[in-house]
Amino acid sequence: MNARKFLAAGTIAVLSLFGTAAWAQQSEGGAKPSDPQIVGIVSAANQIDIDTAKLALKKTKNDQVKQYAQQMVDDHTKLQKSVDDLAKKLNVKPEPSDTSKSLHTAAATEMKKLRGLKGKAFDKAYIDREVDFHQQVIDAASKVLIPNAQNAELKSALEGAAPMLQGHLERAKQIQSSMGISSAAGTHKHHKKA
Amino acid sequence: MSSSSVFVPAARPARREIVPGVRLLLAACVLCGITPWVVSAQNQQSSSSASQAGATEVIIKNFRFQPAQVTVHPGETIEFKNEDIFAHTATADDGSFDSGLIQPGSSWKLTVAKTGTIAYHCTPHPNMKATLVATSAAAQQPAAGSAAGPSPGFNPPSSPQEFHPILVNFTAALLPLAFLSDLLGLWWKRASLHNAAAWMVLYAAIITPFTAAAGWWWKSKSAGALPASVIVVHQWLGTSLAVIFILLAIWRWRLQKRNAAPSVVYLVITAIVVLALIYQGSLGGLMVFGR
Repeated sequence: MNARKFLAAGTIAVLSLFGTAAWAQQSEGGAKPSDPQIVGIVSAANQIDIDTAKLALKKTKNDQVKQYAQQMVDDHTKLQKSVDDLAKKLNVKPEPSDTSKSLHTAAATEMKKLRGLKGKAFDKAYIDREVDFHQQVIDAASKVLIPNAQNAELKSALEGAAPMLQGHLERAKQIQSSMGISSAAGTHKHHKKA
Repeated sequence: MSSSSVFVPAARPARREIVPGVRLLLAACVLCGITPWVVSAQNQQSSSSASQAGATEVIIKNFRFQPAQVTVHPGETIEFKNEDIFAHTATADDGSFDSGLIQPGSSWKLTVAKTGTIAYHCTPHPNMKATLVATSAAAQQPAAGSAAGPSPGFNPPSSPQEFHPILVNFTAALLPLAFLSDLLGLWWKRASLHNAAAWMVLYAAIITPFTAAAGWWWKSKSAGALPASVIVVHQWLGTSLAVIFILLAIWRWRLQKRNAAPSVVYLVITAIVVLALIYQGSLGGLMVFGR
């Protein structure tokens, strides 16, 4: 039960990080993902979120952002482990797909952008990214991954991960709005998300 | 301790010496009695398994607090057990309690002090919400709604949330008492009171860095659960105070070595530091108890 939920959470998280373009593609009539592809997509999204969080841990000096990033590393690492365990149990070997590839491509672009930022601009870009990404992953999981999952255990794992992704989304939004208030003199575009 | 200070008139009857001593003792008792009520957190944390009969449990699992509403009486303890594979917190919306991260397989205990309804959530997953209702039982103490209930028994400290509130009692008591002791020493012209003051300042200087360190530890563990604007002032004022205490102790002991009475400048500065300490304590209280 738990393993399924975690798997689901991982999938969603991964998707949310890198997924806008990929998901758009997916939902606009791309091939329906197979179970091995779904596992591959979830793993890709998890890894991307972890990598982004690790970058944030190196760069940020904001305590809230640091704690959030650490939470992403911890939660998504555990989620990935449960994904791996479930895949092993179901004898599913993760496969790459157009979606997982475009996730990686989008992630690389995002990482490049984040690496070029520092201070409050970085914090803001990172948290904005987390809000967008988790929102996208939640959408993708509910519209693409869960409906297409063939194995019942995989499907229920994906469903079980949803509350975690929702939690990460809400926490990121809280941080986003607190940064919006505290850096009123600061950056350009924080109303964009509101 | 020998009272060799030059500013002390020689040999007085022992009996007269007792009077200020007793008063000081009384003052100390009052302060010591009050301080824990003001400062100590309601949190009683222990990783040991619940041994109290009928202890209330909240299970954290699958991103839910179960039950979503729990009802207790003041003085009772709630154990939050994390049976999820992810770390969670139980954090009051009004800031009146905060578990910090409870790791999978661990638990955290909260002794409820007051009646009332408190909404709480998980800091890293704010969509996890639940409610704690504390109602006064028919047979509760007369002072229902204030102070704490029955003594919770012995729970050794096991988390940063506990070390800081414990250590802070020493910090909060020692410097004001040292100041008071010096004032009384001047008033009654008693070297022993000045000696006591010098020692208390020294103790304060020794213990306060630990208090500050425990505070930083707490902060590092409690992942953004503390109000950002308050914690920033609290952390740096606290750290500054730890340094100032050491300087004060050095200063006080230089005076002590010369058997000199504390100068007006020393007393004024100490008074300012005491005021800063009270302000610091109020910030700490704000974070632990809410407004």
